[in-house]
Amino acid sequence: MTAITRRRFGALAGATGLTVLSPYVARSQGKPRVVVIGGGVAGATAAKYMAASARGLAVTLIEPKRRYTTCFFSNLYLGGLRSLASLTHAYDALARHGVDVVHQTAAAVDPAHKVVHLGNGAQLAYDRLVVAPGISFDFGAIEGYDAAATQIMPHAWQAGAQTRLLRRQLASMDDGGVFVIVAPPNPFRCPPGPYERACLVAYYFKQFKPRSKILILDAKDHFFEQDLFEDAWRRHYPGMVEWLPGQFVGNVKAVDVKTRAVVTDGDIYKGAVVNVIPPQKAGWLALKAGLADASGWCPVHPLTFESTLQPNIHVLGDAASAGAMPKSAFAANSQAKLCAFAIAAALTGAPPPAPHLFNTCFTILGPDDAVSDAIVFKADADTIKIGDIFISPLDESAEIRRRTMQQADGWYDAFTHDVFG
Amino acid sequence: MPADAMAARFKAIAWLLAAGVLLHIPSPAAATSQPEQGAQLAAICAACHRLDGKTSSAPSIVGRKPAKLAADMAAFRSGKGENQIMHAVALSLSDDETATLARYLAGLGGEP
Repeated sequence: MTAITRRRFGALAGATGLTVLSPYVARSQGKPRVVVIGGGVAGATAAKYMAASARGLAVTLIEPKRRYTTCFFSNLYLGGLRSLASLTHAYDALARHGVDVVHQTAAAVDPAHKVVHLGNGAQLAYDRLVVAPGISFDFGAIEGYDAAATQIMPHAWQAGAQTRLLRRQLASMDDGGVFVIVAPPNPFRCPPGPYERACLVAYYFKQFKPRSKILILDAKDHFFEQDLFEDAWRRHYPGMVEWLPGQFVGNVKAVDVKTRAVVTDGDIYKGAVVNVIPPQKAGWLALKAGLADASGWCPVHPLTFESTLQPNIHVLGDAASAGAMPKSAFAANSQAKLCAFAIAAALTGAPPPAPHLFNTCFTILGPDDAVSDAIVFKADADTIKIGDIFISPLDESAEIRRRTMQQADGWYDAFTHDVFG
Repeated sequence: MPADAMAARFKAIAWLLAAGVLLHIPSPAAATSQPEQGAQLAAICAACHRLDGKTSSAPSIVGRKPAKLAADMAAFRSGKGENQIMHAVALSLSDDETATLARYLAGLGGEP
């Protein structure tokens, strides 16, 4: 086994307010080992909180990328309201919190021997494993839409190169072209995302290509915050956005990348730019490790996020099947904290955490028009249900919407500081 | 608050606990429950509020008098104001949790 030296616990932990008085520090020799796979919001949050708030744990984060670009707020980049650089974060601060960040691919998990195999041939032993691999795409669901097709019809549902590609295509599109968005069936990452994308691309078209149209071909008959989006499309982008529900469109059966065509049960739709957001399932490593059930997602115990299929392995974020919780960054962050404290409790004897789980999404309808939702979840041993839910009303004043937009920008900074800072 | 000062504060509290000075706390496990619970609850806040004294669009909540923060949370719970996120968070916390959280945040220091 390749030994990977854990960096010394950093002084920064105290400055963040994360340090907790613990009687378990005396057990730090031969610390329990926690390995976290995946440096997105869920994995980075879990690693940071375990390293910084439970000094009795040796925490290793495995993430091949040196920098992470957030999918949330990436529609603002498509609309020309943010740079991709402003959405990109490094892992330096996690190292200062005491996380041993290993930039390798996690190739396989061996639950029987509690070992993770890395892409470079090394192995990492763990006492607890956290798997936060995000999503993968069900490429078999739409004929002709495979990894190669994503270079012609980008999904842009994992931020970075795909988002840049879609932006380039939109920038080079002639005025008067049709931008087709294929929206996926539930459950999927970021429920408001496809419709927010329509808003922000419409904002871009309105300025630079005002004769262009946006056509959303949806697998669903309803979507989250539908009334707010339809109201925004009418007010801000009249005649520009058309949404076709699943009952009208039928199944999206196939795509033809050569003609940029989307084939449904009843028709063929062609676009100048086509954004296919395919059906989704848990990240491939979770599938490979036997953490997913027939749904393609990973069932977990609601109070700890430990897999119900593999003991001592916890699954977080978009890959987890977490009851009523949506697949969002805020939900992933909330889950990660509960899981981090639960693992610290299990390995150090610290008191178990109270199961507080939340979600908030800021949704951008235009440069001065944003809405939000706030959801409190009730978790027990069996399930996670919605407790209270609050969504911006339709009749809010323009001033409140403008302030929510400012709040959204500030939230992004504070939130990413919580995750990566 | 500088990291060294924070560490010194926790060391001092740890010594007091070890010496049995804080006699109203009966056992080591219970002795840690308050600050640990406070840190866990503060993690909820950290998703929107920076806990290093810096402000974002959400105000700094560290270093404030516990009674003031508890009063603010009571107002949010009752639905006063337009902040539905804080309304949701306040509704989810018990009075005891709010008090524990307020004490913990007060101990994190104020604006630099």
